[in-house]
Amino acid sequence: MKTVLLIATFIFTLSLSAQTPYEKGMNEAFALWEQQKNTEAVQLFERIASAETDNWLPPYYAGLIEIVSSFGLKDEALLNTKLTRAKEFLDNASEISENNPEIMITYALLNTAYIAFDGAKYGMTLSGENVAIYQKALAIAPSNPRVLLGKTEWDMGAAKFFGKSIAPYCEDVERAIVLFNEEEQTIPYYPYSGLERASEISANCKKETSPN
Amino acid sequence: MKTLLFLLLTVLCSNAFSQSTISGKIIDQQGLPIMGASVYLKGTYDGTATSEDGTFTFETTATGLQTLIASSISFETYSKADDVTKLNTITIKLKDDVNTLDAVTVNAGTFNAGDNAKVTALKPLDIVTTAGALGDFVGALQTLPGTSNVAEDGRLFVRGGGAEETQIFVDGMRVFTPYSPSANNIPTRGRLSPFLFKGITFSTGGYSAEYGQALSSVLLLNSINEPQEEKTEISIMTVGLGLGNTQKWKKSSLSLNTSYINLTPYQKLYPDNNEWHKPVESVGGEAVYRYKFNNDGLLKVYGAYSSVDFDLTQEDINVADGIRFGLKNRNLYINSSYQDFLEKDWSIATGISFANDRSEIKYNNSDITDIENSAHLKIAFKKFFSSRYKLNFGTEYFATNFTENFEDSNFEDDYEFDNNIFSSFVETDIFFSKKLATKIGLRGEYSELLQEFNLSPRLSLAYKSGANSQFSLAYGEFFQNPKNDYLKYNSDFTAENTTHYIANYQYVKNKQIFRAEAYYKEYGDLVKYDTPFALPTSTYNNSGSGYAKGLDIFWRDNKSIKNTEYWMSYSYLDTERDYQNYPTNATPDFASKHNASLVVKRWIEDWKSQLGFSYNYSSGRKYTDPNLGGFLTEEAKSFNSLNANYAYLISPQKILYVSVSNVLGTKNVNGYQYANQTNTDGLFDRRTITPAADRFFFIGFFWTISDNKNDNQLDNL
Repeated sequence: MKTVLLIATFIFTLSLSAQTPYEKGMNEAFALWEQQKNTEAVQLFERIASAETDNWLPPYYAGLIEIVSSFGLKDEALLNTKLTRAKEFLDNASEISENNPEIMITYALLNTAYIAFDGAKYGMTLSGENVAIYQKALAIAPSNPRVLLGKTEWDMGAAKFFGKSIAPYCEDVERAIVLFNEEEQTIPYYPYSGLERASEISANCKKETSPN
Repeated sequence: MKTLLFLLLTVLCSNAFSQSTISGKIIDQQGLPIMGASVYLKGTYDGTATSEDGTFTFETTATGLQTLIASSISFETYSKADDVTKLNTITIKLKDDVNTLDAVTVNAGTFNAGDNAKVTALKPLDIVTTAGALGDFVGALQTLPGTSNVAEDGRLFVRGGGAEETQIFVDGMRVFTPYSPSANNIPTRGRLSPFLFKGITFSTGGYSAEYGQALSSVLLLNSINEPQEEKTEISIMTVGLGLGNTQKWKKSSLSLNTSYINLTPYQKLYPDNNEWHKPVESVGGEAVYRYKFNNDGLLKVYGAYSSVDFDLTQEDINVADGIRFGLKNRNLYINSSYQDFLEKDWSIATGISFANDRSEIKYNNSDITDIENSAHLKIAFKKFFSSRYKLNFGTEYFATNFTENFEDSNFEDDYEFDNNIFSSFVETDIFFSKKLATKIGLRGEYSELLQEFNLSPRLSLAYKSGANSQFSLAYGEFFQNPKNDYLKYNSDFTAENTTHYIANYQYVKNKQIFRAEAYYKEYGDLVKYDTPFALPTSTYNNSGSGYAKGLDIFWRDNKSIKNTEYWMSYSYLDTERDYQNYPTNATPDFASKHNASLVVKRWIEDWKSQLGFSYNYSSGRKYTDPNLGGFLTEEAKSFNSLNANYAYLISPQKILYVSVSNVLGTKNVNGYQYANQTNTDGLFDRRTITPAADRFFFIGFFWTISDNKNDNQLDNL
């Protein structure tokens, strides 16, 4: 009996660890990202991308991490190098998955990183490009909550700048929250996140638009 | 049971025994270890990052021929295919990536503007929001060092050169008549509207072999490839009206712009010192059509038509009633270009530009009709052998036909010439490392009119001396046929020429740029004639010569003061030449020894406004005082002008723009005119030539209608 139990446990552990290399790699990469080991995470996603040539998720995440980690940089040469690399990853991802709204809005995020660095230098050309990206993405995926949220945040920024009411955009944020909750999360490692951010913005909305 | 155990063991073992170890070390070109570089086998999950001493070790189950990839930020990616068993204890040397922002750039003589440049002297918005520039890109460029302020002319005067020594190109194609015509002593403006361009390269010397027929400078403008959205733009200004519309389709787009300028109301309100019979009235239209072909091909067709009419009488010391000058100008310009990427890293750029310019001039009782037809055809190829070695070559043909008809009560004559030039160029860009790069070019030109072949070598070199600093050197020979004013009377010339020597130091750090450039320019074979003006009867030769030397300093700071950007330029110029009808070597009257400008822009968040100032100074220019004898020996008073502008964003799509030039109303002097005859005391009387008006006001309201509620015409101002 003991032996049987032992063997059963052994087999059970084995099947637990019988992740595909893809799952193992992705889990490890996400763990690295969580520990803020961005360079290592990007490198691992890059390796996975080299093995999984028909999956857009690994290059997408490699690009996304490069972009997110370039916000706040002070050195333009490093910013440019990182974002150029990020663009290569995104180009790679969109070659695998054309007209993918998740990739499209990440391109917009890439532009935003440039604009945040120097608005006078990059704002004039890139802000218009972003508006076009959001419009196109929304036409392709009208009920994608991340697209709606991204576009709404962009418009809110402009409205705030001109001292306009953000109330109409707050409605869109609420709509995005509904869409987030309705979203069926079926594809493993798909970037379903965003609900938290939407809730934060919604809370801000309520603060700013409340009568007192 | 036993079988099961056995099976399990076999599975585990089979995993274990086919593993091989990949190991080695990654170093840079200096042999120093690279930490954190990524190393992996392509197509597998096996890989790692290098440790602090540059070494790496990892296991792989892959067998046979595999590709090892090594990459690290700001290095070129390395790959090596070999049998896995041989991929251990290997040393990999990564090459610097020369395409990064911190790599050296060959930039002696050159300023870049636009967002695609590595180092931007002017940002896209600066072109149009520089106080005093009044939306003219030439005005903004005049705040850069190397330019001389010639307030009554408005064109670009670079490093002691005349305005015709600068050539302007759009998408590689020549612009034959870049400036709107204007009366004597009234500054001209560029014809091209600034919002058509995304990048501007302004070279004040030592430029690429791709460009010729310019003794001093080239201005290269790149038009935008794709407008961002459909929109309609309306402008209401104190000087006229403007209307624009952009349409976009899947692969193509069309932008139309029309403008109507009439200075009659303005002249009524603020009369200047001219007697206007017909203030400036101009009607202009521009259209740009862009078509994207399936792969990377892009066709652009730009067409512009403008008509300018005016008529005035200007004071003259020798003519009691003044001089009457009237002009009707019609100008058509077409510029088509096509670029495409071909196989094996080749690319092609080709184009054709054509200009038809007709001027009817009334000068007192004379009627002059000038007709100029010009065309430029060009084809160029580029080959990228690697990121470190590029080759660029091409051939082009310029054709100009000029006719003039002169008629007054007792004289009539026609003048005509064809000035056709065939040229070819070849140029190579070589990066020896991230720190050392060179550009070597050769250009050959054959002029059919002068029956002459000229060969001009060009060479530039750049060395990065530190993390933020670099030195560059440039040398080049430049040829240009004599200007139309002489060719219409005589063609027995040789091409005028210059030789440039430039040394440049640049320091760029964190939104701050410092640049210092010293140059020496030698002029040869300049045209000389023996009469007070160039006349059909003058005797011409090419015996003129001259030099220009100086120092240009530029400092831009976008960092130190929040919401404020400023830049300062200073140019020192020492130049003399013996040309035209000069009796001796002298400093020409358009050159001033010291030129300085300061431009400040401040964004005021609470007011949704941008406030801008610019201050221009130039030391006095030379003039001849016949009472003292000598030639160009006297110096007029210096030029000072403080300009201000204010842009208020009423809403994202409505902008109010106010601009005043010479706010302080400084009384500037453009020069002096002396009488031809002495007065009763035996002296020559003189008249001070002052600007037509001390100040110029401009108020405009700009409204953009588009789906995107945030777009505006800020780039149009």
